[in-house]
Parts: sequence; C-alpha cells; structure tokens
Amino acid sequence: MSLTSVTGYFTPEDNEEVLGLLQKYGDGAMIVAGGSFVHGLDARDLLNGIEVLIDIRRLGLDKVTADSEGLDVGATVTFSELQKISEIRDSAAFGAVRDALNYPPTQIRNVATVGGNIAAACPYFDLPTALAAVGAIVKVQGRGGPREIGLQDFFAGLFENNLEDSEFVSGLYLPLPPPRSASAFIKFETNANDLAIVNVAVGVTLDESRVCQEARVVVGGGVAETPVRASSSESLMQSEELSDELMRQAGEAVQSDLQPMSDHRASAEYRTAIAKVLTERALQRAVARIQL
Amino acid sequence: MKKLITLEINGEQHELALEPSETLLQVLRDELGLVGAKRGCDSGGCGCCTVQVDGQAVYSCMQFAHALQGRTVKTIEGMSQNGELDPLQAAFIEEGAVQCGYCTCGMIMTADEFLATETEPDDQQIRHAIAGNLCRCTGYQKIVTAIKTASARR
Repeated sequence: MSLTSVTGYFTPEDNEEVLGLLQKYGDGAMIVAGGSFVHGLDARDLLNGIEVLIDIRRLGLDKVTADSEGLDVGATVTFSELQKISEIRDSAAFGAVRDALNYPPTQIRNVATVGGNIAAACPYFDLPTALAAVGAIVKVQGRGGPREIGLQDFFAGLFENNLEDSEFVSGLYLPLPPPRSASAFIKFETNANDLAIVNVAVGVTLDESRVCQEARVVVGGGVAETPVRASSSESLMQSEELSDELMRQAGEAVQSDLQPMSDHRASAEYRTAIAKVLTERALQRAVARIQL
Repeated sequence: MKKLITLEINGEQHELALEPSETLLQVLRDELGLVGAKRGCDSGGCGCCTVQVDGQAVYSCMQFAHALQGRTVKTIEGMSQNGELDPLQAAFIEEGAVQCGYCTCGMIMTADEFLATETEPDDQQIRHAIAGNLCRCTGYQKIVTAIKTASARR
C-alpha cells in the first residue's frame, strides 16, 4: 500500500481534538481505526485529496457495555474483541452478528473495527447486513454533540454515509429484542478472503406457538448500494406460523424485493437466485436458535 | 512529515523516523532488513506479510507505522530462541510444509497466535485459522499437518 499523498497521521486523545482536526482539514481528512479497508478505498480511487488520517483508537471507544435494554459497542471495538463478548457469543438474538464476525480471516478480525465497517458504507461488507437485521443504531459524535441514526438511514449510497461534515461514528447500540427472538447471517463468497457476492441476515421473534411476531430480512453483499430490507418476504411471515413451507416461500419472495447489481463478480440473476436460497437457510438457522 | 516512533521488535527497542504513509511491512523490510515478512498482494489478501502486534496476527502491509507507537511486534525472525527453532518452524520442515516458501513465514506467525489458545485443534479449526493465508504450492494439507504436529509439542 503506498499512500504517498498522506502527509499526516494523527492519534488524538479526545473528541475535541478529533473535531478540531476535522474542521481544520475538511475533505482532506479521513477518520481511520484498524485501517484494514484503506487499501480498498485507495484501489477504488476514493482517497483522492486525502492528506491526513485521523486514528480514533485513543478515544476510549474500545468498550462494550451491556444493560437490560441492550448492548453499547464502542466504534473502535475490533471484530475479535466483539466475538469474545458473552452477549454476542451466546445469544440467539445477536446470532447474526456472531455469524458475520466469524467470516473474515484472523488478521482482519484482529484489526477491523465495528465503527469502521459501518462508516465505510461498503456495499459488499457483512457486518452491516447483520446489524440491520438486529435493528442497530449508529451513535455519532459532532460539533453539536452526540446524536443517533438508525443503521438503515445511516447509509446514503455507494461508499457514502449520512454523516455531516465534522461528524464521526462513535459507536453502535444493539437493542435487545423480546424473548423468543433470534437472528442468523449467511455469506456467499468465492474464497475465505473474498468480499460477499450476496449476504443475507434475518431476525425473527416468535410467540409460544411459533407464530411470527416480527421478521426482518436484510440482503446485502452487493445486491444494491446499501443493504436492502426485503419487505415482501417480511410481510409474508408476519402473524403466520413459521413452518418450513413458509420459510421456503419467504425465500422465494425475496427475489421480488431485489434489483441487484451486475458486476465482474456476479450477474444480477445469479445474485437473486443465491439470495433466495440463503434467505431460507438463514431463517432455518435463526428459528433453530429459538427455544420455544 | 517524519515522526519519531518507538517500537519493540523481537525483543529489541527501535526508535525510527517514519513517514505517515509508511506501513509496518515497509519498516520491517526496508528500514530494518527483516525480510521474513513478504510483500505479496500488498492489500491484505494473501497473508505473506503476517506478523504479530501485541500477540495478535495482523497483515503488516495494512498497519500504519505511526499507529504503532509503543507497541510490541514479533516477526518470524523472533520465533527461534537461543538458536533453537520454535516447534512450529521445526514441524514445517519435518512435514515438508514448504515448497516455494513465500507463504511460510506468514503461515507460521498466524499459526503461532492460533496455538497460543488452541491446544488440541482439529483439521477444520486449523483450516479456519489459516484462512487468511494463501499458499499456491502445497494444497495446504502438509501445512495443516505441520500445525497439528506442532500443537502436540507446545
């Protein structure tokens, strides 16, 4: 990686210092943490004009705190660190997050951060799809103080997020869903170190008799510029008993919710066909995690 | 602008004046002559450049040197102790887990972190652990065998 245009690498110690640097350098500054996608941005010519990198790993945003309502995850928590948190490792509710964290190789999990993975707004990433299925909220820090944005509203397009100038991602909040909720994530890839061709995450809440109280189906990994909610698949399951047949139909229904991209990695038709299969499998996996 | 960075590499303290765009891989190979870590894809896809930072395997081609102030780095050159090969290195030789050798140093640094917590891994766990390291010669089987052999000795 040769980023010869970068003339400064800052490691600020508090929010004020970060905001000061963002104000000073404007569009010439980029926030980094693990740095594992900087080369990916460079390869796509998205680092043009970037002069300084602002590493926010000394802000103390590397903590995860749990309360009865949910899980508060700092922006610079790495994939490896998040994997070790018992609420992620053992819970059915956040199963999709656990699944997604397990795909990248060790060398990436040790450095990639949850905040960076969201902020990059890369359509091929896994964690955003999983987080959308569990209703994650993005926490943002800026001149006007902190604010929160729903994950789906955070993404603006291809490598574009909805942050204002001089704002940065400070963390995520994962609200704990009701009992008998579970989620699951599956990625389709060509090799262990590849970006997704399609990925699917589902989150479901059932009642005692297996009737679906809520269903979220999210498809990402290159089917669109941002992860997509498959609303016709979701509404098919709402208030119905989640049988094998209904999960199969929910997979079929996903196809009408997608208008995937065709690129050198896969055609739109191929992505659609794979999404159908992954949706059914992810639903089966999630439901298997629920103890009625 | 160059900045003075202090790093511990294989037990030795180094004070280096480094550009903000420099990566750990460049520092190791070009400044210090530690050429065990290889420059393969230079974009975090092949694993040849794997070293450990504070005991964790990382792609050194992606690590900005300025971010590593005060951190501890271990490379393949730091694996042998008092002239004795580490059991992992010895197992790679015994099992013939090397052909061209380009991936070997990275494989060993990844496996070293893995074996620190997994004492009796099965083949599937080993394959998952080295998923971020490509080998284009061996077909992986002998590498998996070598890591298993080493796990029994550590």
